Amino acid sequence: MDAVVVIFVTGLISLFLGMYHKPMLALTSNLLGLSTAFTLFFLYGTYNSVLKSHFFSLVYDGSGVLLSLLSIVMTALVLIMGYNSQSKDRSNYADLTSLMMFSLTGALCLIGFRDFFMFFIGLEILSIPVYVLVGSRRGNQASAEAALKYFFTGSFATAILLFGIALVFGATGSFNINEIGFAILSGLYTPELMIPGALMILAALLFKVGAFPFHFWTADVYEGSSKPVLAYMSTTVKIAGLFALVQLMGLIFGNLKGNWEMVLYVVIIVTLFLGYLSAIQQKSMKRLLAYSGISNTGIALLSIMSGADHGSRNIVIFLLAYGASALVLLVVAQFAQDEENDLEELKGIGYRYPFLGIALLIALLSLSGIPPFSGFFGKLLLIQDVLVNHPVLSICAVLSSVIGAYVYIKLLLHFFHKESTLKDVRLNVASIIVITVASLLLIGGWLILYI
Amino acid sequence: MELILLPLLFGIVSFFIPGRWGRISSLLFAAISLVAVTVKLFYFQPDVKEYFVNNTGTYVLGMTFNMAIDGLGILMLGLSNLVIFLVALSNFNREEASKPSFNGLLFLMQFGLNGVFAAEDGILFYMFWELTLIPVFLMLYWYGAKENHKNLLTFFLYTLFGSLFMLLAILAWGAYTPSYDYNKLMYAAVPSQYVCWIFTGFLLAFAVKIPLFPFHTWQPPTYSTAPMAGTMLLSAIMLKMALFGMIKWMIPLSYSALKFWQLPVIILGIIGILYGAVIALRENNMRKVFAFASISHLGLIAAGIMIFSFDALMGSIIQMVNHSLIAVGLFLCADIATNRFGTSDLQQMGGLAKVAPRFGFWFAVTVLIALSVPLTAGFIGEFLLIKAVFEYQAVFGILAALTLVLGAVYMIRAYQMSSMGAPKITNVADLHWNEMLVLALVAVLAVFLGLYPNGIISLVKPSIQHMLENVQDTTNLIK
Repeated sequence: MDAVVVIFVTGLISLFLGMYHKPMLALTSNLLGLSTAFTLFFLYGTYNSVLKSHFFSLVYDGSGVLLSLLSIVMTALVLIMGYNSQSKDRSNYADLTSLMMFSLTGALCLIGFRDFFMFFIGLEILSIPVYVLVGSRRGNQASAEAALKYFFTGSFATAILLFGIALVFGATGSFNINEIGFAILSGLYTPELMIPGALMILAALLFKVGAFPFHFWTADVYEGSSKPVLAYMSTTVKIAGLFALVQLMGLIFGNLKGNWEMVLYVVIIVTLFLGYLSAIQQKSMKRLLAYSGISNTGIALLSIMSGADHGSRNIVIFLLAYGASALVLLVVAQFAQDEENDLEELKGIGYRYPFLGIALLIALLSLSGIPPFSGFFGKLLLIQDVLVNHPVLSICAVLSSVIGAYVYIKLLLHFFHKESTLKDVRLNVASIIVITVASLLLIGGWLILYI
Repeated sequence: MELILLPLLFGIVSFFIPGRWGRISSLLFAAISLVAVTVKLFYFQPDVKEYFVNNTGTYVLGMTFNMAIDGLGILMLGLSNLVIFLVALSNFNREEASKPSFNGLLFLMQFGLNGVFAAEDGILFYMFWELTLIPVFLMLYWYGAKENHKNLLTFFLYTLFGSLFMLLAILAWGAYTPSYDYNKLMYAAVPSQYVCWIFTGFLLAFAVKIPLFPFHTWQPPTYSTAPMAGTMLLSAIMLKMALFGMIKWMIPLSYSALKFWQLPVIILGIIGILYGAVIALRENNMRKVFAFASISHLGLIAAGIMIFSFDALMGSIIQMVNHSLIAVGLFLCADIATNRFGTSDLQQMGGLAKVAPRFGFWFAVTVLIALSVPLTAGFIGEFLLIKAVFEYQAVFGILAALTLVLGAVYMIRAYQMSSMGAPKITNVADLHWNEMLVLALVAVLAVFLGLYPNGIISLVKPSIQHMLENVQDTTNLIK
């Protein structure tokens, strides 16, 4: 896949551009690289759909292409957002962008993987730069703690994943997912190795996406990282991780359903409620997003349970909506002076600045699942598919949406308060661009269903 | 189609109209929609369904975006446009009318309402249904009482909770048919053990919105802290969405579950009638009196709809129209009295009729309409409803008829405490011309429909008959 190479090379270039201490230069070259990659992916998706070219066993089907395009767009928005936030100290902007580019390379590998080599390599290339990014707030203790915590727990999960892959290899003698899938279908595998292996892989991936019972790292890590890095984690990292999980469970282990379905059932139900219930009391945007992100992961995991072929298609719109809403919220949170307890400071921002107000309204309503925004369609698709086979799950999803709506609507009322103590904020071009694009995605993003 | 799209256009435009033109423009926009729907009403053929959008192909997700109106639909569209016009008119001399955001929200609300009444596709119905919630929510937040955050959250979450179950019901129904088109849903072969659950999903949404007895707790606090326009919209037209949904969506789609839910819902309705009336008797907050009166009136309508016979449905529909009119009138009077006295406590009011004779007269007229005296539409509606309930079960009929007696008591009590006796206030402004116009329009329409109920009946008769026949057909088909 030439697009992946383009992104990697762009990352290398911006590593060297760091010498010149010109953030604008780094941003321009990165955006150029990203738009080239976007075009290449677009052409791949449009003209190459019949004859999928294999490139180190990377294959992108319909939703793979869409999600790759989405993660490229989201990364570009995060870069623009980061350019804005680094206004005081921009000396390391180019380095951070290059790390983000490398991580995006990993994300694209993870989206298109067709064997366990690429899967593992993609996951590591995705994760390792993020460990560094989390610790990028120099001189901040929370940031260092978060990075260390994320690194230790993350590498532990990686070890478990590796062990799982080894067991699956032992059970079937292959890394290729088609061959493994065929072996499972025809019963040519060793169940004593296969089932623990599959469960270990599942556990490691549940850790990466932050689902119960592996969710403890999210709040601390999210709080320690800067807002652009947090935006990156709740967009691209989440997209790649969740899609890989859905692909894996659908493509390979779909026929072993009896062994992991019950586990996942419980995981999803707890995840759905745990996140929103913890989010109610949060005072900072980062922690609120961390906890509400857990519940949103739970809803995204429903696509595994649907058992339908288009489970992976359904997740696209949901991830798009979630990422775009998180971006809007984080860009608005950037206006607060206080990095930690920012919500109190932002009281009434939406009423005083109608532009931000409309964006916040759209973002929060979309997160609550109110039509006609993308978030509604995302949830609709996911719930629709599990409704007939697992009615209890769909009812749980609906109930958790109500709790989520409580969290988000309370936030909305807070932002729309008539009396505000807010200091004057200056809207800059970068944040206007990010908010506009994200809001357009939220309003019209669901139309990609019709493509 | 213009009936749906015009309010959207008006809503967006209103946000950009400067404050001093706001009141004139909003009245003008509301009048244009009202004229458009009146013209349509005159040329309407009640026995054919008029499609605005008719996609017969199946689309992604099964969404067809179909919209159509039959006799019932055009009646409800006319009602919603009338109510919006009355709201705009009664706000004309108030501060809110010169706020761009207020007018914008009003017309976005109208867009949602018109969509609900015209939607012919399950998902589209749900989308418009939720769309009405946002403008009214923001209106209540920005223009309502200051300390209403908790009430607002309760209101929003309660209604969202209900309607999400309706969404599940629609989705479950749609799983057995290629698209969510109304006609397709009608003939979907849903396994009979699921039908009852689906009915329950719909019922939760509608019971919260109406509100039926145990689900009513959001209503009185919301009404008493909302701005006048918000209360009028909620009571006069948003509740009608739920009743309309029961008639058009819930019962025809899951008719075979009606047997199971008929008795419980009718009992809840009857409890609501008595409970609302008794609380209204004891309540001293004027707005809350009318809020509980609304629970009482709507309990009867809901019971009538659940009986689902031709007479009961006719009574319900007439009473729906009538209730919209009296809700506008009563909440306007309550707001005027509250403004003049500076409090909504009935104990501290008194003698308004002496210092403001025009108010006294028109308030009395509105109260008489609300009492359903003969010659008003309420008389016809309640008569038909009580007759239907009586035929269903004589005891219920007797209990339901108490609404007439108790209604007279609490309405006249509210009138007496606010307007009779020694004036506790002097030197107040009497009715403004626009307020008088609203009350007069309400009175004229209520009397007109009381003298000529055939206007409504002939309009909705074909669609109701068609629905009743259809329901029998599908039930036979499943058997």
